[in-house]
Amino acid sequence: MSETSSEPTVTKTSYEATTVAQSGRAHLRHLLFQAGPLLALILLMAYLSFATSNFLTVDNLSNIARQSAFVAIVAVGQTFVILTGGIDLSVAAIAALSASITAVLLTQPLVLFGVDFGLLPPELAVAIGLLVGLIAGAFNGWVIATFKIPDFIATLGTMTIFRGAALLVTNGLPVPSFDAQRQLPDTLIWVGGGTLFGFPVSALLALLCGLIAWYVLRYTVLGRSIYAVGGNREAARVSGISIERTKIMTYAISGLLAAIAGIVLVGRLNSANALMAEGEELRSIASVVIGGTNLFGGEGGVLGSIVGAAIIGVLGNGLNLLDVSPFWQRIAQGFVIVVVVIFDQWRRRSMTRI
Amino acid sequence: MSEPEILLKLDQVEKRFPGVIALKSISMDLRAGEVQVLLGENGAGKSTLMKILAGEYRASAGTITVRGKEVSTLTPELAGELGIGLVHQELSLVPALSVTENIFLNRLPRDPLRRIDWRKAHDMARRALDALGVSIDPTVEVRRLEVAEQQLVEIARVLERGPRILLLDEPTSALSDGERLRLFDVIRRLKSRGVGMIYISHHLAEIPMIADRVTVLRDGVVVETLPAEEADEDTVVRMMVGRALDEQFPKQAAAIGAPALAVENLASGGSLKDISFTLRRGEILGIYGLMGAGQSELAPALFGLQSIKSGSIAVDGKAVRFSFSSDAIAAGLGLISRDRRQSLVPMQPVGPNLSLSWLSRRRLLAPLDLKREREESGRYVRELRVRPSSLTHQLMFFSGGNQQKVILARWMSSGAHVLIFDEPTRGIDVGAKAEVFALMSRLVNEGAAILMISSELNELIGMADRVLVLHGGRVSAELDRDQLSQENLLRHAS
Repeated sequence: MSETSSEPTVTKTSYEATTVAQSGRAHLRHLLFQAGPLLALILLMAYLSFATSNFLTVDNLSNIARQSAFVAIVAVGQTFVILTGGIDLSVAAIAALSASITAVLLTQPLVLFGVDFGLLPPELAVAIGLLVGLIAGAFNGWVIATFKIPDFIATLGTMTIFRGAALLVTNGLPVPSFDAQRQLPDTLIWVGGGTLFGFPVSALLALLCGLIAWYVLRYTVLGRSIYAVGGNREAARVSGISIERTKIMTYAISGLLAAIAGIVLVGRLNSANALMAEGEELRSIASVVIGGTNLFGGEGGVLGSIVGAAIIGVLGNGLNLLDVSPFWQRIAQGFVIVVVVIFDQWRRRSMTRI
Repeated sequence: MSEPEILLKLDQVEKRFPGVIALKSISMDLRAGEVQVLLGENGAGKSTLMKILAGEYRASAGTITVRGKEVSTLTPELAGELGIGLVHQELSLVPALSVTENIFLNRLPRDPLRRIDWRKAHDMARRALDALGVSIDPTVEVRRLEVAEQQLVEIARVLERGPRILLLDEPTSALSDGERLRLFDVIRRLKSRGVGMIYISHHLAEIPMIADRVTVLRDGVVVETLPAEEADEDTVVRMMVGRALDEQFPKQAAAIGAPALAVENLASGGSLKDISFTLRRGEILGIYGLMGAGQSELAPALFGLQSIKSGSIAVDGKAVRFSFSSDAIAAGLGLISRDRRQSLVPMQPVGPNLSLSWLSRRRLLAPLDLKREREESGRYVRELRVRPSSLTHQLMFFSGGNQQKVILARWMSSGAHVLIFDEPTRGIDVGAKAEVFALMSRLVNEGAAILMISSELNELIGMADRVLVLHGGRVSAELDRDQLSQENLLRHAS
């Protein structure tokens, strides 16, 4: 270093010291805000424990966990997409498509182009279902990255495509049908509705998905690329990160997780149909936003989204226990989302200087 | 001679943001018919002060008196009524609307049937632009204009409202020298009409050209207001940074080595027609050109961000063809881009910003090297004296100069040996500029080759070993260090 940058004088140094101290407080606020969703969940649960007699029971809590698992798993994938600044409206449709294909393959012989493959092994049926989700997601990413169209529009279109494909696969009928040659395997029913060491399996699976996703986002090149693309696309490009590759991978992950969620849901409901999980894409987005991820990308994380899914689940359950009519429940849930976003915007404005 | 009217008086104005005090106790006044240049390093609070005066921010404490009347809450509407006009530093135009619509946003002239009178509107817009001495088609969408033209539209928009108090926040940062001189003519005209102006600039050379008084801000307080005659460069720089700059351009002689980057007959984009040069290790090669001469497309073309129409590039003697920036990075290039905001992830701290270029060409599921990231970011923060010296604060809390240091550190850590500095000092303050130059000197001494694309004549003269002057997308002159002078550079550029 040359002599030019001589030591700063005392006034300069003290100014810098105060800046650090001041932004140190901002930093603390930042941490507090990050814990916000979890705090809200705890407060909500504490309130319901006192306000109702049957909220804090093992049965009820397992029930909530089981019901929230689907949205939680989808929300984990949605978090990846939203972190890049995108949005995936097709997740529920992918879940339904994967669930339908898996359920059909589990219960009926596969006949392709007149060739009868017989009943596939259950593991293969599930693997194909997952693969379909992965490919459907990658297709989303490819369309968006190659043709440079807005994520919202692209996935709005593919959402309809995937629903249509699910209708084709199921002929518009629930699966298993009356003439099913095989029932859904017990393992799948167990994953959807069973328990392991007293905990609902589906909820444990959601946590596992969340942990793996957390690791990927925090410790891998992909995770960093996702935050960079969402935080500043141009900076990512200049730094040699392939935006196309990142986008395709991100949507593929979202598709895969949607497929996992869909197949778990088949186990819980003991049935699949092409129109299942309708509207759940919006709940997954709400979970991500409630969990503190910036809708414009670059900030947030997957653990928040799981907390967000839990908040939505607990809220619905609590309103039920409080005997609030389902109509009012919808209104209340909508308000929560709007209020959270308002709060989030206010927080961001107060964080950013000038 | 009677005292000129005091248009604006600030008394102990203060502005706090959560976690930061941007302004503490600002007291100053503005007289009718004067140009008061406001100086200060980045983060000194200049732009914040302007936004308070325009009603965009509310002061946390203090009083503002406009033409003898104290105004308690200044809103953008009230500021407009009081005749305060602000030319923003960042452009505040609507890109998808026409020039006319932007100039008369909300106030388009109507015909008797309350329909918009487009013919009249365009005529008025044309007159407003003519007053600035520019010919821009008022019917064109703003996004189709060059940045400099957009800036002129922004100025025209504010002037069209006939402000009594005009605030100009770095209006010349994107302007060519010719456009700048025309703007100064307009400023002098406004002066003679009694308009009071506060003019923010980083170009100290502009002070003798237009200033009546100079006010220096540092750390959110007024250091001093002094007459322009007393505001020589040394004095104001010392006031701005709180210390003297021993030397602004720490140019050291470095051994010139083997060719690092050889470009032949390069053409790319709309303005770059035919450029050839060889950049050697240990050398700083300057590129100068007026707006539109092709220099703005050189960096993207060299770095694989913009496709090449014809010509060839060789790095270290090997012919290369970059389709993506990752190819350029792999070949050892680094780019400090024109717009700093395009290089940073503002919501992340130093570490991830530093290591961003390491991710290039790696497998997506490969683990990050967090240990190296921690070590190197700690080391560079110390070595380059990044302030605040923190590895946890998000980069948006850093000043422009410190952000620039982080970008530099990124390329140093990725081992780039051919560095393209595209307008390396745009929008950063005097103190940080000197530090960036010192780093450039250090890098070439360590064997790097630097291509310095700049529109700042004195910086090129201070730092470059050679300068290529571009005109119309071609090299119009190659000047050695002993031939470098403002006159020479300008003559070959125009």
